Amino acid sequence: MIDPAITTLRSFRITERGTPMPSHTRLRRSLMLVTALAALAIAALVTLGGPPAAEAQRKKIVNIAAKEPDTLDPHSSTLGQSQAISRFMFRGLTRFAIKDGKVTTAEVEPDLAESWTLSPEGTIWTFKLRKGVQFHKGFGELTAEDVKFSFERQIKKAPGTRYGVNLDVIKSIEVVDPYTVQIALTAYDPIFLLRMVGYQQGYILSKKAVEKQGDQFKWNPVGTGPFYFERHAPREKIVLKAFDKFYAGRPQIDEVHWFDVPEDATKLIGLEKGTFDLLYPEAVTADFADQVKKMGAVIDRRGPGQQERFYINMTKPPFDDIRVRKAFMHAIDRKAIKETMYPGDLAKVATSCVPPGYFGHVPMQFPEHNPELAKKLLAEAGYPNGITIKNYFISKSFFYPKVLTLAQEQLKQAGINVELQVVEHATYHENIRKNLNPFVLYGGTRITDADAWLSLFFDGKEIPDPATGNKGTNFAHYKGIDDLLHAGRVERDVKKRAAIYAEAQKRMERDLVCLPISDVPGQWARNPKRVSTPFAADYGEFSLHYSYNYPELLKVLN
Amino acid sequence: MFNYVARRLLLAVPMLLGAMSIVFFAMRVLPGDPCVAMMGDQATTEALADCTRNLGLHRPLAVQYADYLWRSVRLDFGNSLRQGYPVSEYIGRMFPHTFILVMASAVVAVLVGVPIGIVSALKRRNPLIDYPLRIFALLGLSMPVFWLGILLLIVFSLRLDLFPLIGGGDLDAVLTMVRSGEAFSYPGDFFAAVGDVLHHLALPALALGFTLAATVSRLSRSAMLEVISQDFIRTARAKGQAERAVVYKHALRNMLVPLLTIIGIFVAIALTGTVLTETVFTRPGLGKMLVDAISARDYPLAQGAITVFTMTIILVNLIVDMLYAVVDPRITFR
Repeated sequence: MIDPAITTLRSFRITERGTPMPSHTRLRRSLMLVTALAALAIAALVTLGGPPAAEAQRKKIVNIAAKEPDTLDPHSSTLGQSQAISRFMFRGLTRFAIKDGKVTTAEVEPDLAESWTLSPEGTIWTFKLRKGVQFHKGFGELTAEDVKFSFERQIKKAPGTRYGVNLDVIKSIEVVDPYTVQIALTAYDPIFLLRMVGYQQGYILSKKAVEKQGDQFKWNPVGTGPFYFERHAPREKIVLKAFDKFYAGRPQIDEVHWFDVPEDATKLIGLEKGTFDLLYPEAVTADFADQVKKMGAVIDRRGPGQQERFYINMTKPPFDDIRVRKAFMHAIDRKAIKETMYPGDLAKVATSCVPPGYFGHVPMQFPEHNPELAKKLLAEAGYPNGITIKNYFISKSFFYPKVLTLAQEQLKQAGINVELQVVEHATYHENIRKNLNPFVLYGGTRITDADAWLSLFFDGKEIPDPATGNKGTNFAHYKGIDDLLHAGRVERDVKKRAAIYAEAQKRMERDLVCLPISDVPGQWARNPKRVSTPFAADYGEFSLHYSYNYPELLKVLN
Repeated sequence: MFNYVARRLLLAVPMLLGAMSIVFFAMRVLPGDPCVAMMGDQATTEALADCTRNLGLHRPLAVQYADYLWRSVRLDFGNSLRQGYPVSEYIGRMFPHTFILVMASAVVAVLVGVPIGIVSALKRRNPLIDYPLRIFALLGLSMPVFWLGILLLIVFSLRLDLFPLIGGGDLDAVLTMVRSGEAFSYPGDFFAAVGDVLHHLALPALALGFTLAATVSRLSRSAMLEVISQDFIRTARAKGQAERAVVYKHALRNMLVPLLTIIGIFVAIALTGTVLTETVFTRPGLGKMLVDAISARDYPLAQGAITVFTMTIILVNLIVDMLYAVVDPRITFR
């Protein structure tokens, strides 16, 4: 310890110049010096490295806040952000059509192919390619070889590619001449032109570039889209630049800067500050939507998005009794679940087991919410004390646990007790294919045609069966529309096909095999003072890309 | 000295091995699968099996572990499961960002924390000075960096528009210019690029530095208290030396040893602090990379990042131990 006497002697000191200086004066001087230095440092930092605003004004740059893609190879990723950025760089033979100022996912129009014909027996498609379409970075003109290569690499399941299964219908691909490619199918496929849309398996890559770059292609992508890849600063941003030789004309935007911003809160601050013009949020909550609205930004909502729905296994007691299935549907308050999960405009109560935006969709009727009626039906079916479902598995990921706990509460009111077991997502997928759940909650998006959708979820061939190893997704175990699905696959008349699928939905309505809950659109937030799109914010376009179908039509306004 | 360093480096090997093994098994014990994380709702059984095979995760754990260790010996940490980049290249790109953040926050923490600790120790009998300083230290300790970070962003970035919201500036350009010698040929461009990096660095360094300054100030305060209670300080004062001379010439020099210890600890705390700081400020770096790698179950990337963290901490502690001998001639290596 210091002697207190010594410390008291310190109140005045003799400086070197012999002038007495009180210690508090010295302290004040030091503080002033430190403050001045700090102010100087801050001023220097603020002025240094001038903000990129000047550059942004000179060039038309669109700043996007999203998560970082896992790859830029469009055939390889299933993540939303990777598919979204792919659309900026790649195109397919066809594209989703613009009709009456709206983009529809139910019809296609020419893109890299300028025309096509189908052989009389319906198995050979001949595509005439648009001439003069250039690949990025000097990889030359698009030819039939590139088309053949792009599909074959997926059919042969090149490592990492994920969409070969969507091209299983292809028997062979023949290059007729540089601008003509002939694709032979194993059987007539009514949705083949939808498979050819620039989306997932439909994107055309430069054969030369893939062969030259090998594994490096995933970060050196070469396509024919309106923007080309310029550079990637990992965990920071990806820079795309306008492609001067884009066949439909150079986009108005000069550059797209795709920032890796994982936090939605940071994205919102950036939108308000002007750092970002477009946001691809992780989840659009009511609070997120309110904040976007308050700052004068808009949310671009695009169907069909994802449908969340229940399939009821009609072969498994007690749900093999239609009265129990009806009781189940009366017990579920679909609107309440939708409003809790996605209040207001964030989603729509689903209207059909084939979502809107899919070719063949028609609205269906479902039993209204009425727990008393549900109890009555259960009693009639021989369950006056209700039923208990033990060991019901539910995934711990995504929307599954939330929707299921809401449904669990509602079912309980009607006398259906569900005892939940929360499991990993992969285990959930495994278990539902082992028919361990009598009703199955499922979500997702598929190729936008009733044939593709119904064939996956309601075709008798897709009934999962552990005994045979069938891992299909017909969780309802429904066989009631097999004849219609077969008829639809060979019917070439569009109107007749639509009628077939309308009939299929009618039968499903009668047999009570599915209960759709919510249609959740894809949503981006946009600063309308900075960036415009020709399509209305509210469902002005349908898209499967988790993004804008036509990024070349986005415009920077100032 | 050489023997000492060699022995310390040898001792570092089992430490590193232990850390790497813990990370390897901890990552696999964590629930979740990299393929499921990658595919989300499209994770069908077939797709999952394909993905697991492609990534080599179908092999027995012991085989994967042996492979991991053997590769690591050759400084090959494999490729990122998600993005495919070689992990060493990825870390090479991220490390400079984290390094300058740790260094800048060290400067902030030392410049703020050490003087506060010293003044607080010297003026401990003056509540008007000591109490506010101790409250400041308490504030820094209580404020989590993610909260202070968001506060700084809202005030200085959103409202006052003085600093950028995200990013780390073009550090690659700065490093390239240094390597190629362009820094000397085009000093204007070079300083602009450096300025941009500093502009992006200021708020994160302030946030991390400030929260760590509290720890530094408390450690410096107790170090100073210990030093000024020594006999040689009393002797110096008894000789009639000016207080400034007592503090600067005698006390501060002798405080260097505990201060070095503080800096050693600081690097470890700062490195872990970068995880939150880089996430809040959306800066590239090892910390943010580690968070993303863990949530994506990108095993090689997470393992690589933690190995680099461990190596850095071991190295810094070794340097600190060696510096002890420089600042205190009484210390020798045996």
